[in-house]
Amino acid sequence: MNPILTFIVILIGIYGLATSKNIIKSVFCVTIVETGIILLFLNLGNFEDGTIPILTQLGIPIVDPIPQALMITTIVIGSTITSLALMLCIKIFHHYGSIEWKDVLKKGE
Amino acid sequence: MNYAPVLFVFIPVITAVIIYLFKKIRVSFVIFGSQALLAVLFVFYLFHLNANPDDALIVFGGWDERFAISFYIDQLTLIFVGLTLFMWVTVLLYTYRINKRERNFLFFLLFLEGVFMGLLQTNDLFNLFVFLELVTVLVTILIAYKKSGQSFRAAIYYLLINTLGAMFFLIGIIFLYYAYGTINIQIILANIATHSDTNLVKLAYVFMVGGISIKAAFFPVFTWLPRAHGVAQSTISALLSGLVVKSALYIFIRVNNQMFALANYSMDEVFFWIGAVTATIGVLFALSQKDLKQILAYHTISQIGIIMMGLTSALMNAQVGGLLHIVNHALFKSLLFLGAGIVVKTYNSKKVKDIRGLFKTMPWTSVLLIVGMLSISGAPMFNGFVSKTLIKYSDFGHDSFKMILFAIINLGTVTSFIKFSQILFGPKVIEVQEKNIRQHISMTIIALSCLAIGIFYIPIGNAIGLDFGYVKLWDISKFLEYFIYVGLGFMLYKFVIAKDYWFNRKLRNISITFENANYLFIVYMLVLSLFMFLL
Repeated sequence: MNPILTFIVILIGIYGLATSKNIIKSVFCVTIVETGIILLFLNLGNFEDGTIPILTQLGIPIVDPIPQALMITTIVIGSTITSLALMLCIKIFHHYGSIEWKDVLKKGE
Repeated sequence: MNYAPVLFVFIPVITAVIIYLFKKIRVSFVIFGSQALLAVLFVFYLFHLNANPDDALIVFGGWDERFAISFYIDQLTLIFVGLTLFMWVTVLLYTYRINKRERNFLFFLLFLEGVFMGLLQTNDLFNLFVFLELVTVLVTILIAYKKSGQSFRAAIYYLLINTLGAMFFLIGIIFLYYAYGTINIQIILANIATHSDTNLVKLAYVFMVGGISIKAAFFPVFTWLPRAHGVAQSTISALLSGLVVKSALYIFIRVNNQMFALANYSMDEVFFWIGAVTATIGVLFALSQKDLKQILAYHTISQIGIIMMGLTSALMNAQVGGLLHIVNHALFKSLLFLGAGIVVKTYNSKKVKDIRGLFKTMPWTSVLLIVGMLSISGAPMFNGFVSKTLIKYSDFGHDSFKMILFAIINLGTVTSFIKFSQILFGPKVIEVQEKNIRQHISMTIIALSCLAIGIFYIPIGNAIGLDFGYVKLWDISKFLEYFIYVGLGFMLYKFVIAKDYWFNRKLRNISITFENANYLFIVYMLVLSLFMFLL
């Protein structure tokens, strides 16, 4: 996969953040940005014909293991943030009766 | 003693778990034991590090230091760790009376301390990202802890926009890994010159600094900060403005002033102007606010701008001034927030015009608030004066425009604190008995340290190997200058701000939606890349 494609995924997420009027859509746009970043990093560590980085015998070309180790952590962090944000969405819906940014961010109250 | 930095991370976390598991209130007293233990450990570690400087690098697991997770402790880290400890001791002392039954709150508060210590000491860019995200998550929970609608909306605004910033920081880390093949900060720092002219590394720099800008609340991307400060408990506001925002500035120093110092990107002038605009805009917004906590929140933004003006200077003394202002701002702003917390709780209102006669009602609290106000407006003998004088070291290299700008910012600060001080005057309104001894002790400690830095700055500077001799305290012109500021500020308040003209009302009603905050972030990144690649 071309790294340019992953940049397109990231840009789609940012476009969504800058345009979506709904809080849940914004939460998922952050997730999309994160997915794009994970794909980008895995892509940079990968090459054609590389196999999994478990050394059963020497001389086999393996992909770089560090991006994979780091990105599994990023996935965990991302799921934490998504779940926390969705919990906050539920609470906001209970308080304001809506999950549109426009209704929620009104001044005062 | 060698592994004391690891204990700095784990003692608070273990204390947090103990508080969470044992439901007795008496057990929650263990927080003070853990803070005392941390303080003793910190002092011993200082002596240990002085004797064996080689122990600054701590490698875990016995791996080669190129691959292993490691901690690195230098002077900057030690200053920040000491500040963190001090802030947490005072804040816990303050908050214990209100929150001793809220063990979930204490759990998150202490967990945050451990994570914050990790953020300061790590020597690994990816761990830095992980700690940054953990801090974001924990602070979100603490902001939302009041469980009101406003706190939930501020929390989600904070969480989403800061996560976006951290994600950009991560993209920068990925590019650096691709270029250098390592994420160890010290190794990248030593080899930065090998690849620093490539576009990839330049892009990495822009992404890292741009991502951090959201957390540090620079000019176009500060919109989360007043929302978060306005609704959180005053304890959390004090920590947020005193330390959590500073963590981003800490990373900024690490990335901009240390890691890319040899790369010669000449972005310092750009960041100086970003800081100047941040400071001006923060003061303008602060002048228009009517809410105690909002005034303080916008002042956090403007003080961050002043810190940036110091940190990005080419002169060493001004950089030291910026660093000192980080410490000073943490002290006086937390003092002001904690004092405002007591005031808001007593009067049950946040509006400046509803609160009158504070001096007669709560004399000691108002004395402490006055110390905070004098410090932030840069009065001689208080700590704000020392660092502000250092920041405008040799008058910004004899640039008169910068001097005028700095004077305007200072005038705005003085004026808005004259507005803030209106709560002190007037007759006694309500009968209150001041019995919150612990809160007063913690605030008095902070106020005394403000005064101590303001008067004994030369011995303190010598103790950490810095020379503050440039600042002349006993100079009559400095006192005169301050009185002129106060006089002008009073006139400005009386004839412009108190009249509440239309531009004031207009500024007060500006509310930037989440989508527009993201637009502003995109524009900010584009401007940074423009300066990086084209100019």
